[in-house]
Amino acid sequence: MATLWSKISAVLPHNEEQFPLQFSDRVESSAVEMLKRAREQLYGVTTSSSRMLNAQIILDFSWEKLNTGTWRDVDKDWRRLYSYGCLFKVAALCRGDPAADEVLQAVRTCDMGLLMGAAIMDDILQVIVRILQSEVRKSSKEEESEHTEVKRIKIECPRAPVIKEELAVPRIKRPSLESFNTNYLLPLKPVILEGTIGHWPALNEHPWSIEYLRRVAGCRTVPVEVGSRYTDEEWSQTLLTVNEFMDRYILNKGGVKASGYLAQHQLFDQIPELKEDIRPPDYCCLGEGDEDDITVNAWFGPGGTVSPLHQDPQQNFLAQVVGSKYIRLYSPEDTDKLYPHPSQLLHNTSQVEVENPDTGRFPEFTKAAYLECVLHPGDVLFIPVQHWHYVRSLELSFSVSFWWS
Amino acid sequence: MRWFGFGFNAFGQIYVHDKLLKGECSDAVKEVKVSTPTELTSQEDRRDCSLKTDCQIRASWSRRASLYLDVDSCVCLAGFVSNESCGIPMKESRGCKDAIINESYLTLAFSDRLECWDLQKKEETPSWSMEIKTHSESSGTPVHLPLVPGGYIATKPPLYRSLSPHLRAKSLTLSAEHAILLSASGTVYTWGLGSHGQLGHGGLTPEEEPRAVEALWGMPMSCVATGGWHSVCISDGGDLYVWGWNESGQLGLPSRGVRKALPQQSSQQAGAPCQEASTSTAEEPQEGEEHEEVFISIQAFPALLDITPSCEVRTVSCGCRHTAAVTTTGDLFTWGWGDYGQLGHQTLISSDEPQLCGVLQRAADACG
Repeated sequence: MATLWSKISAVLPHNEEQFPLQFSDRVESSAVEMLKRAREQLYGVTTSSSRMLNAQIILDFSWEKLNTGTWRDVDKDWRRLYSYGCLFKVAALCRGDPAADEVLQAVRTCDMGLLMGAAIMDDILQVIVRILQSEVRKSSKEEESEHTEVKRIKIECPRAPVIKEELAVPRIKRPSLESFNTNYLLPLKPVILEGTIGHWPALNEHPWSIEYLRRVAGCRTVPVEVGSRYTDEEWSQTLLTVNEFMDRYILNKGGVKASGYLAQHQLFDQIPELKEDIRPPDYCCLGEGDEDDITVNAWFGPGGTVSPLHQDPQQNFLAQVVGSKYIRLYSPEDTDKLYPHPSQLLHNTSQVEVENPDTGRFPEFTKAAYLECVLHPGDVLFIPVQHWHYVRSLELSFSVSFWWS
Repeated sequence: MRWFGFGFNAFGQIYVHDKLLKGECSDAVKEVKVSTPTELTSQEDRRDCSLKTDCQIRASWSRRASLYLDVDSCVCLAGFVSNESCGIPMKESRGCKDAIINESYLTLAFSDRLECWDLQKKEETPSWSMEIKTHSESSGTPVHLPLVPGGYIATKPPLYRSLSPHLRAKSLTLSAEHAILLSASGTVYTWGLGSHGQLGHGGLTPEEEPRAVEALWGMPMSCVATGGWHSVCISDGGDLYVWGWNESGQLGLPSRGVRKALPQQSSQQAGAPCQEASTSTAEEPQEGEEHEEVFISIQAFPALLDITPSCEVRTVSCGCRHTAAVTTTGDLFTWGWGDYGQLGHQTLISSDEPQLCGVLQRAADACG
């Protein structure tokens, strides 16, 4: 049987000459020199600590560049440089006969590159992480029986609000493109589309469950929001593996009190295997963009996660796959009654706690008209562009949002 | 004066080890990470002995510039430079009065002109230059880079940026994203990006124009410095103030990242750099109370930092993610990121508390 290293070196260029290192002038020649040294070590004879050191130097140097200026303005070359650092580190970790924790560290390193870096060498980190994951699965097969203690997740008695009929978001079954366009998209009216995602593998062949997600993505590192809502002082983001996230925040092992939410993460770009389980809604073709322009985000967390009332700059289809969510919607016409945060950073977020408003501070809020609903598995909510929405999960929940224009 | 260096040495910018001389790849960790202060020598330099004469050291990530200020003043480069020029005085630098260096440019100040040399390209002429009118009232006062008459030299093009004369700038330091300026009257101004609290105005928003740090109002300052995402200054009375990002303990305040890394560090280097993007902002400057569980991620107002109970701070400088201060008694304290030995504590451990580092005369620090 082929060793892990032979599988990885098979996807690397055969020799130094075929290994590309092309950067714009922006990347200093000193940094390129470090890359060249790391490349030379990849094909030459040296010690493992020396390989790790050079990879870490590249990671540290590029990490500082990634943190300079605002994220969206960071030059792609710095993100590519970071990916090279990850690649060299993975190569250093997997050489010889790596121990199980070194393989897991290599998976994490690939994920860091996929999260913060930019694609290099035909997205080689994506190729390598697949190899690593199959290695991890092989070695965890034996332990799997242990994991099947999977009791049913206790379904919390959700504080499910009673939806007043006159405020309920309308529901329709599979409207034609034209009817959706005329009645909802053009007038920008929210609606719940029923029966449009029943064919997703996520709801059929591979029903998404804790066990399934552990199997497909358990060892993968993802960003997790910790804290009740992102407007809180205590709120922060951290990086955890999917297994750690589930143990800590969904199964509540270790008695962690804080709530964790895998929110607004492009999980499906990171783990293409999961992307196979979903489909972009056909209605997105009514927009001007291509299918590639659709931003697909995962929202996975326990009951009680809250997204404060906010608005987004694109049309949104929010598809519910697992569990249920309470959602309230306000029209952008009522923005003046919703008290957006004055700061530039949070100007698209309301200061009001929707289900417990401080009417003294925000007297106009109760005058704003709204629609509400509870979203169940198989439902797709159309949230028109700029429409304010507040979301609270009522139980363990996995939703997928599609932002499109 | 004798100079000592420590920290990142992958390019031989502190000392040249045998392997590098032989053209081999740097190999052992201890050669790349110099954690013990090591005396700097001028190699095949003018005097091939220690840097005894009137000399100043400037450092960037991969290079060291030695600025000699005696009769035939000049600059010598060490570190990531071609073998021919290593240690040899740059002929273009003859007569210069001041110099600064970053990864891209070497800036030289002469009595009658300024020159910026692009270190990426081997060019015969400076990539930017400007004449200085010697008859202006500013003559006599020497140029203090990056300040130049009428403005300052930025880290990237456009290299020359003007400054309002009303600021009466005395000194200025720059990070890649913000600037801190000290006026002749001791007022501190900051501008640029503020996402890590590095401007000290209490928020995280950027400032286009120099804005006085109000929290320091009425306390004249004598020295300012900036790291990658933090700022520091010293008052006339010798008190040290710090603000900005504390991710590696560079403020000398309790840092979650540093404390979390400590137990692991003994066994192996921690894994990939974990981006701990905490956005929580400390509202109040820490007034010296010790709450173990209170970590400071971002300090958006200046905080007083007591290094030692008895001494005043004379001078301070910053690396990207660490800080070094010298007291009036001549003790060097360092704190912040230490993975490359840049704290000089003979370890590779980061510290969120100022720690004494031998008895050195003066510190020149640069990120690495």
